[in-house]
Amino acid sequence: MTQTENLLRQLPTELGGLDAGPVERVEHEYLPWEKRCHALANVLDIRKIVNTEEKRRGIESLGGEIVGKLTYYERWIIAFANILFQKQILTPDELARKMEEVSSRSSGDTVRCD
Amino acid sequence: MNAHAHPHTPVPDPGNSTLGYYEIMETAVRELLVAKRVIGADEIRRMLEVMDSRTPALGAKVVARAWVDPEFRARLLEKGRAAVGEFGIDLFENTELIVLQNTDKVHNLIVCTLCSCYPREVLGLPPDWYKLKPYRARAVKEPRAVLAEFGTVIPDDVEVRVSDSTSMVRYLVLPQRPPNTENFGEEQLASLVTRDAMIGVVKANTPEAKERTR
Amino acid sequence: MSAAKVLMTVVKPEGAEPIFKAGDSVRISKRFPIGHFRVPNYIRGKSGVVESVIKPAAVNNEEEGFGRNAGPKRHYYRIAIPLTELWPKYAGSVDDGLRIEVFETWLERS
Repeated sequence: MTQTENLLRQLPTELGGLDAGPVERVEHEYLPWEKRCHALANVLDIRKIVNTEEKRRGIESLGGEIVGKLTYYERWIIAFANILFQKQILTPDELARKMEEVSSRSSGDTVRCD
Repeated sequence: MNAHAHPHTPVPDPGNSTLGYYEIMETAVRELLVAKRVIGADEIRRMLEVMDSRTPALGAKVVARAWVDPEFRARLLEKGRAAVGEFGIDLFENTELIVLQNTDKVHNLIVCTLCSCYPREVLGLPPDWYKLKPYRARAVKEPRAVLAEFGTVIPDDVEVRVSDSTSMVRYLVLPQRPPNTENFGEEQLASLVTRDAMIGVVKANTPEAKERTR
Repeated sequence: MSAAKVLMTVVKPEGAEPIFKAGDSVRISKRFPIGHFRVPNYIRGKSGVVESVIKPAAVNNEEEGFGRNAGPKRHYYRIAIPLTELWPKYAGSVDDGLRIEVFETWLERS
């Protein structure tokens, strides 16, 4: 088996039986956007717009480096964006524009909150 | 060991008032889906309410009921999904719930080596360690060593049974009822049942242990 | 003819009846698909016993991963595999075991 075949055999999310250090009992309070992201996942699954397996595949196909470096819900939202593009429900362009709008709205919030 | 006795490792706090990149993306995706009427404006809010109602306290109630009511326990072990329905818990679609009973002979532990399947409808969202590599990699290979890291030592003559949750089944561990609780009511019993006991990494608290952690 | 009787005459979809039953000895196939799958590498080629049939039957999750939400269904099975079978150097009790749900297409009689 070649090196590259091996990359296909093991999904980047598959960990069972790998060597790893001790379990550190890390936990954090879920952030509001993380909860919203989870709620979005549930709604998309129930409505069969993006089912759970599609979401899992979407995360796997981000590749090892992104899976390894992004946090849990960061991976989810990227996977959703990609799948929604693929299904032609959203376009990359409109998401980029909307993100700019949300971003400028939020810096407005900053000024007000400060 | 008590689930709340360990130090919580701080996670970087993105709590400054400007939104992070991924939060902006989440907001943008959600708003676009609502604007296009792919999802309803209040669907996310209603889902958040359901999610907020799912906490380990709910699972603890189920466990305490199973301890005091043999008929409920039988139903729970036979058809988990239907039995938790008696507590108003609805599992999505075809998701099955298998309840794993710990006994003098068997200790159960749950893990998801492929992602982070977890009985969310009963316990809420999982702790980070459940989703991180060390637990997911090692629980299926050296469960006794992993349990020992949680302070749980299982005698050699007790079988350790690891359920790897990979597809449509979710698992909930029914811990053993602690000794010296014969006179306890359901509510008191439920207060001894921690989230980690329902994952199977620790046992339910004894009344004495619970006192000590006050 | 009543609605219930009409329904009973409908031909059952493929895989409606489970092929395996509790107690059957099985081997997890040793094959390596690409795309999306939920059978971890660490159980492939390993032997175990069917503990129970998981109901109801479901669409293959390898296809669900690409958006298939309906169609032919088969069963998942709860499979018991000794940890000593999975990890030859396993240091714990010989009774320690794994339980895992495996889709019918991955199981071979052994």
